[in-house]
Amino acid sequence: MAIADASHFDRLVDFLKQKRENVTFHDIIALAEVSAQSLQSFFQAMDAKVYGELREIAGYIETMRHEIGALQVNDLKNTRIPLAGEELGAIVQATEAATNTIMECAEAVMGADASDPAAYKALVDEKMMVIFEACSFQDITGQRIAKVVETLQHIEERVSRFADVMQAKDIDGFLNESERERAERRVKFLLHGPQLSGGGVDQAKVDEMFRDPLRMI
Amino acid sequence: MAVDMSMPVLVVDDYNTMIRIIRNLLKQLGFEDIDDASDGSAALSKLREKKYGLVISDWNMEPMTGYELLKEVRADPGLTKTPFIMVTAESKTENVIAAKKAGVNNYIVKPFNAQTLKTKIEAVFAE
Repeated sequence: MAIADASHFDRLVDFLKQKRENVTFHDIIALAEVSAQSLQSFFQAMDAKVYGELREIAGYIETMRHEIGALQVNDLKNTRIPLAGEELGAIVQATEAATNTIMECAEAVMGADASDPAAYKALVDEKMMVIFEACSFQDITGQRIAKVVETLQHIEERVSRFADVMQAKDIDGFLNESERERAERRVKFLLHGPQLSGGGVDQAKVDEMFRDPLRMI
Repeated sequence: MAVDMSMPVLVVDDYNTMIRIIRNLLKQLGFEDIDDASDGSAALSKLREKKYGLVISDWNMEPMTGYELLKEVRADPGLTKTPFIMVTAESKTENVIAAKKAGVNNYIVKPFNAQTLKTKIEAVFAE
């Protein structure tokens, strides 16, 4: 609905159309009265519209507050994400420890003197048992990974819901300088990291490219 | 040309376990003089101090990547002919092309096996 309506000013226009030879102070006061009366309906209409818009904004803010609450950001920031980070740290440590153990065993077997078959077999048996034990890390890390995946799903669900309700649109740019530098470094030095299946070329394809450089063009 | 097993080899990787794996594989192949560095700039210093017969380098390292190391090596008249093999998880076509253009002698995609390493080293010295 338009706030300014022609009818609001009809009385003012009629008043101004009347011919006056000598404008008196009374005429000016009368003009002011008619102006005030004409604009009254205009301001009433405007008040109703502004009020409606303010109610809409208040409703939006209330919805946003509810959705921000539903995000449970403090739980994510203080509990879930730090715990996921600790789980990942523990996974890295466990895999590193297991790898070191296995490599130590392999190096011990490779470096062992095989001139005494019985002693050599005993050493190999012992190291194989240590390797079997070290491989048990996979069970624990599997459980830890499952917990991290669960946290990621939890975050994904909440962020997706928030984005849908808020009809969020992404904006370009970076959160801070460090984020920008990391992104630029990845582009500049072609740092894509390991690819998922089908995302990169395998060794056979690389070999083909080296055999026939024309394939690289 | 046969591979000279007595030549010094420089292994560049920021992951100790990978250095250890490559070291063991090289030892199995018969190489004895093996050094390592944890990134491109550390490798460049070593390359300028000692004459290496082969560089085996990862790509993704900080602060200097293997890709930058390769370009530095090719730009340095004293190092430009040093054989250089990239061993990396970077398996996008654009990476292989960029490495080839920068002058890499061969390219191994992680994970790899002993046979692949052996074949690529032999191929580099057969060129």
